[in-house]
Amino acid sequence: MEKLGPRLKTKKTRSPEMGLRVLSFTFIAVLIVIPMLVIVQDAFREGFDEFWHQVTAPIAASAIILTLWTSALMTAINALMGLMTAFVLVRYEFPGKRIFNAIIDLPLAIPTLVTGVMLVILYGPQQTLGAFLKEGLGFEIIFAPPGIVLALLFITFPFVVRTIQPVLLELDQAQEHAAATLGARGWTIFRRVIFPALALPTLSGSLLGFARAVGEFGAVVIVAGNIPFKSQTAAVYVLGAVESENRLAASAISVVLIAISLAVILVTNRVLARRPES
Amino acid sequence: MKQLSGKVLFVILLVLTLAGCAGNPPADESGAGGVHLILAAYTTPREAYGEIIPLFQAMWQAEHGQTVTFEESYQGSGAQSRAVVEGFEADVVALSLEADVTRIVDAGLITHDWKVVGASGMVSTSVVAFAVRAGNPLVIDDWEDLAAEGVEVLTPNPATSGGAMWNVLALYGAALRGQISGVPGGDPGAAKEFLKSVLANVIVMDDSARDSITNYEAGVGDVAITYENEALVGQQAGSDYELVIPSSTILIENPVAVVDEYVDEHGTRLVAEAFVEFLFTPEAQQIFAKYGLRSVDPDVAASRGDQYPPVADLFTIEYFGGWPKAREKIFGETGVFNSAIQEVQGQ
Repeated sequence: MEKLGPRLKTKKTRSPEMGLRVLSFTFIAVLIVIPMLVIVQDAFREGFDEFWHQVTAPIAASAIILTLWTSALMTAINALMGLMTAFVLVRYEFPGKRIFNAIIDLPLAIPTLVTGVMLVILYGPQQTLGAFLKEGLGFEIIFAPPGIVLALLFITFPFVVRTIQPVLLELDQAQEHAAATLGARGWTIFRRVIFPALALPTLSGSLLGFARAVGEFGAVVIVAGNIPFKSQTAAVYVLGAVESENRLAASAISVVLIAISLAVILVTNRVLARRPES
Repeated sequence: MKQLSGKVLFVILLVLTLAGCAGNPPADESGAGGVHLILAAYTTPREAYGEIIPLFQAMWQAEHGQTVTFEESYQGSGAQSRAVVEGFEADVVALSLEADVTRIVDAGLITHDWKVVGASGMVSTSVVAFAVRAGNPLVIDDWEDLAAEGVEVLTPNPATSGGAMWNVLALYGAALRGQISGVPGGDPGAAKEFLKSVLANVIVMDDSARDSITNYEAGVGDVAITYENEALVGQQAGSDYELVIPSSTILIENPVAVVDEYVDEHGTRLVAEAFVEFLFTPEAQQIFAKYGLRSVDPDVAASRGDQYPPVADLFTIEYFGGWPKAREKIFGETGVFNSAIQEVQGQ
């Protein structure tokens, strides 16, 4: 990513470049870095042992684990479905395609709290569909982990589609035609020609979605049920810690969430950096 | 580098200037026009204050020829209390539990003995009760019915909701006092087992008491553990659930206090104190009673006796040795609640 701008080795500090840098660094520092440092400092103010004690407290640890596995499951589903959706959107023509395409971005515009409310209205145990699933099939969605996965899927769906789409648009179809003339069938072409080019954007898109999902609060607090050890995620646990004066726990769990997201974003950037030039 | 730091300084100054502009409220409170009071309250009595405030304004206008304008803020009691500690300059706080006032006292913002005002600084009371479905199809009459197999119970999360703490204390206290059939009194182990059997039936733990009852109104669950006043207000608003008061329950006491630091800063002590005193008049107490709260005025309470039946075994937070002890022993990290829920849900 360093090659974005030419590196001028001049000492002209009055150049507009310098001003831009200062402005953007200051902005990032004030907006993102300083608040993060404050919370890290807060989490470790009583030493690492106390930090670790908060993170491994049974309720906290189970909340983190629930957050991670629901996010991971969502990521896997999203990778698959996002890939398919992007493929359909780029390669096929059908009536209403533009509207379909626009709908994909909607989850980004809807307050996640509203997402939660929508899901409860649709799948809640008092609704026809939810009641049928629960009474008829013994499958609980709302107030149980499947509800969390569903909410996260909804919120992060655009990430995968929107990272795959541009790559797929640029993909040279000549290779596919060549493969076809060599006798390869549809599935083989997808597996051997198209997928290798899309694997990295799929991975990076889903990882971004994962990073986003780990911190999700608004939708989850509505659909999860929030019972410790069963359906309480890390972000909801943090709210509880804030409300009950346990700021150390709130900061410690927040730092864990930040660290996970940061690690995932770093991995994503590495993945993107390895992306073959087309 | 010199120029760089100059620019940084400029940006910082700019930010500070903007912040300064935004932070300065118009400062003409003691002016000839009138006086401005900021009330920070929990959400339950919002409708009651909506009726009480105009009465007080009229009274103050008649007696002092001065107009009182109100700025009212309503949110969860704990959040409200923390906001005041962190600089929300409320003249008067009306909260749902004493611990939330204690937090403001500990921060040095309330310096007088607020508990001598009115009866005990407590302006209204309520009891922990149940909301059950119309016709009470599961025949839920008392605590032991909540532990029955398959009953779906709603109660908010004690970590986020003061209301949920009352609920757990009512349930655990009733068990500890030997008021629940099948649970021997005075036996913390047995009381905890009973708490576990009810917690096993809890399907949702919402953030706040209000969210919990809203979820119940939407059709979730068979019974919601809630405050009597929440259920009464819900019924007034047209919900068809029924109110069940258990034979043994805890008395919820809602404190009110003038915040010394801020009234002195605003020059509003006189009117703030008059407002708090006004809340204890029969007139204001009748309005609290109208909106589901039990009056602390004996005469008003007597006149509303049919609406608020007496509870056979009513206990207060003092049964647990006061709030600090209850918080530590019941809701602390290794307290009864956490340990019970871990045994129910976790391994």
